[in-house]
Amino acid sequence: MTSDNPLAEKTAERVAPPAVLVIFGASGDLTSRKLMPAVERLALRRLLPASFSIVGVARTEMDDAEFLQRMMKTVLDVRSEDEAEGGGGGDVRHVWDAFSGGFRYVAGDYGAPDTFVRLREVLEELDRERGTAGNRLYYLATPPDTFPTVVQGLAAQGLNRPSSDDGFVRIVIEKPYGRDGKSAADLDRVVHEAFDEWQVYRIDHYLGKETVQNVLALRFANAIFEPLWNRRYVNHVQITVAESLGVGHRGSFYERAGALRDIVQNHVMQVLALTLMEPPATFDANGIRDEKVKALRAVDVLTPEEVPFEVVRGQYRKGWVEGQEVRSYREEDGVDPHSTTETYIAMRLRVDNWRWAGVPIYVRTGKYLPKRVTEVAMEFNRVPHLPFAADQAEGLDPDALVLRVQPDEGITLRFGAKVPGQTFRVRSVSMDFFYGAAFLEETPEAYERLLLDALLGDQTLFIRSDEVAQAWRIVDPVLEAFEEGHVPLARYEAGTWGPEEADELLRRDGRGWRRP
Amino acid sequence: MTQPISSTIGTWEADNVSIGDVERALSGLRRHEQRAAVRASVLTLVAVTNSQAEADLVRGIVHDLGVRHPSRTLVVVLEKGETEAAANQGTGVDAALWVHALEQDGRAVCFEEVRLLVRGPARFHLDSIVGPFALPDVPLVVWLPASLPSPGDPLLDVADRLVVDSRAADEVGGDVLARAAVLARRLPVTDLSWIRMAPWRSLLAGLFEGSVNRPFLDGVDRVQVTGNAGPRLLLGGWLLRRLGLAPARVELKPAAHLSVRIDATDLHGRSGSFSVARAGAERVITSTVDIEDGPHLEQLLQMQERWPVLALAGALTNVGHDEPYEEALAGARELRGAA
Repeated sequence: MTSDNPLAEKTAERVAPPAVLVIFGASGDLTSRKLMPAVERLALRRLLPASFSIVGVARTEMDDAEFLQRMMKTVLDVRSEDEAEGGGGGDVRHVWDAFSGGFRYVAGDYGAPDTFVRLREVLEELDRERGTAGNRLYYLATPPDTFPTVVQGLAAQGLNRPSSDDGFVRIVIEKPYGRDGKSAADLDRVVHEAFDEWQVYRIDHYLGKETVQNVLALRFANAIFEPLWNRRYVNHVQITVAESLGVGHRGSFYERAGALRDIVQNHVMQVLALTLMEPPATFDANGIRDEKVKALRAVDVLTPEEVPFEVVRGQYRKGWVEGQEVRSYREEDGVDPHSTTETYIAMRLRVDNWRWAGVPIYVRTGKYLPKRVTEVAMEFNRVPHLPFAADQAEGLDPDALVLRVQPDEGITLRFGAKVPGQTFRVRSVSMDFFYGAAFLEETPEAYERLLLDALLGDQTLFIRSDEVAQAWRIVDPVLEAFEEGHVPLARYEAGTWGPEEADELLRRDGRGWRRP
Repeated sequence: MTQPISSTIGTWEADNVSIGDVERALSGLRRHEQRAAVRASVLTLVAVTNSQAEADLVRGIVHDLGVRHPSRTLVVVLEKGETEAAANQGTGVDAALWVHALEQDGRAVCFEEVRLLVRGPARFHLDSIVGPFALPDVPLVVWLPASLPSPGDPLLDVADRLVVDSRAADEVGGDVLARAAVLARRLPVTDLSWIRMAPWRSLLAGLFEGSVNRPFLDGVDRVQVTGNAGPRLLLGGWLLRRLGLAPARVELKPAAHLSVRIDATDLHGRSGSFSVARAGAERVITSTVDIEDGPHLEQLLQMQERWPVLALAGALTNVGHDEPYEEALAGARELRGAA
């Protein structure tokens, strides 16, 4: 093995090693909107080596030069004006000049062996010409039904294994990872026939968000929060992932997915795991992922009888959102006029472990809710005895700690304080820490961070096989109950916080949803 | 994300005032302006300058810095009298205050700026002037844009970090790097000259990532660093120590701009040349790899236009001692001793 680079400084950001990024689905939306802008920004930050090369693979016919031109144009379209000013035109030009020698395109069907034969030839040529040393990062930015075909195509040409002990071959797989537990396990089997788990990077861009990572910093870098982070002090937890948009042009995709698969199985489960996990012994990939898996394993699976009582599914009707009248889900393009696909989920989960037993975890997500917000709120138990008269503490709510993931990333602590004046009255006040007020500095985009991590071989922010399995274990019984029609579909007006049934879910516990 | 909009939401000015007056005026400005109720500060920054012109330059940089490191900033101007005797007559402080707000995407960050013109013997007791303005619980960083303090300067007693620029201080003469090494033993030092050469260092390190190029670092034949005296010595010293080379293998030559080249041989006897160079006045750095029977690669990088702000922002991100810098200082000393 190659020893460490003595010139690399520990505190500095690491430059990715020489490698070829092979993007399957190179002519698609994800590549132009997310991946290529991320690559450009990494290059602008000097985090890509001179030999870094990109091979696009897709069905669309074009040559290397056209692919390069197309990518340059799409990135230019995506780049916001202020980024262009900040980045400096000259610097952007130099970046693309440097890329031009290492940009290749392979047109072909993913099911045709010839596509992978030509890909191998191109990769070998890049190794010779640019010293990429056999290092490859495959990125599957294709529809999920092509994942097995691409994986098998790579393996058939021996492109799944490094050519030397020092080299690496890794594969990044986009969500959704399966449609249910069984299909995820089937996909895993195919992937593991070709790649070892240490080569597989299952991506959920939520984990690349700075503020999701800040949940770990808040919990494990501060002595004042963690002692309260358990059943003794926490009354219940509310996790909200709200979107103020509808399904837009993704109607036909959404019809097959629904909120449960689109948001709960991945984003919500990841935020849940980071919130509930035990402190890891080490802050490396397996240290953190082991604890996340343990947390997910402790979540009780709902029985078929429990699902209708613990889960609310909803679908938006027409309404008003942010001053605009919007149509109902069933009127959206690509959506069945009689669709029963859910655009809203609320559920109550139980966690059976020492830390969280008896603390309900309420989760909700939906489209066309009043605002876009993702947050984790811990509401604490009330004090055992209030030494004031009831009317003196009328405005006093239980203490709460809220971790806001987006927007207005930060932390809010709600606690009681005396109202100024001659009389003694107590009311709740909020103390806000805005992440952006202490650090206005621009943080890396999620894809930028995750792409660099994959090139550097850091799997911490990627989802391990057993995490996927655990998330499906929790979601599968709910999906089955939906499919068997055991959970009625509640309709809610677009622009509201969801159906009345979701309020009832908490009301019967003597609680209510927060207004984020 | 939109660009932040800066505005000044409060000012105050007075001559021959006490430090207590200035503190009260600062509190008053914040009390009477609602937007100043929430102050974001990650440090107290004290810039010590020798002229009004230098102070104006510093203020411009500090203002741009607010986006990255909102801080309470003190710009101290040391007023020099015509003669030593005049300079030492009558201590006095003239003060000016500004409260700035930076607004971005509906959020506002408020930070304060204090300019103090200090006359007389008080110039040698800046610790007593600066101390009352230090914000609690955040580091106090002292920045000398164009000079190095003496190791016994009392201002260093209240500082958690010292920021200097050995290249700018070098023009005054003397062995600046040796003095910086002495200071670095007392408290963490950030040298903007060192920060400024970060692109050279990271590009050079990047050339040796991966299994093809990394082995060349085990067979370095010659290192050549060209540039101004201080920077070339610093970069040469860093390479000497990081690569464990004998001083004879490191060649230093004068040039207008900084460049570095490493010639090496790998285990198979192939020769390779690796360089990071700024050729001329154009603000472009070129990194090149040229391996016998192997790839020849070139990568161009546009240098940042706003380097003073970015260098200072980079410096303020660090906490604790900058070990690679201190290693480079030790290497520079070794190279100078061998010369």
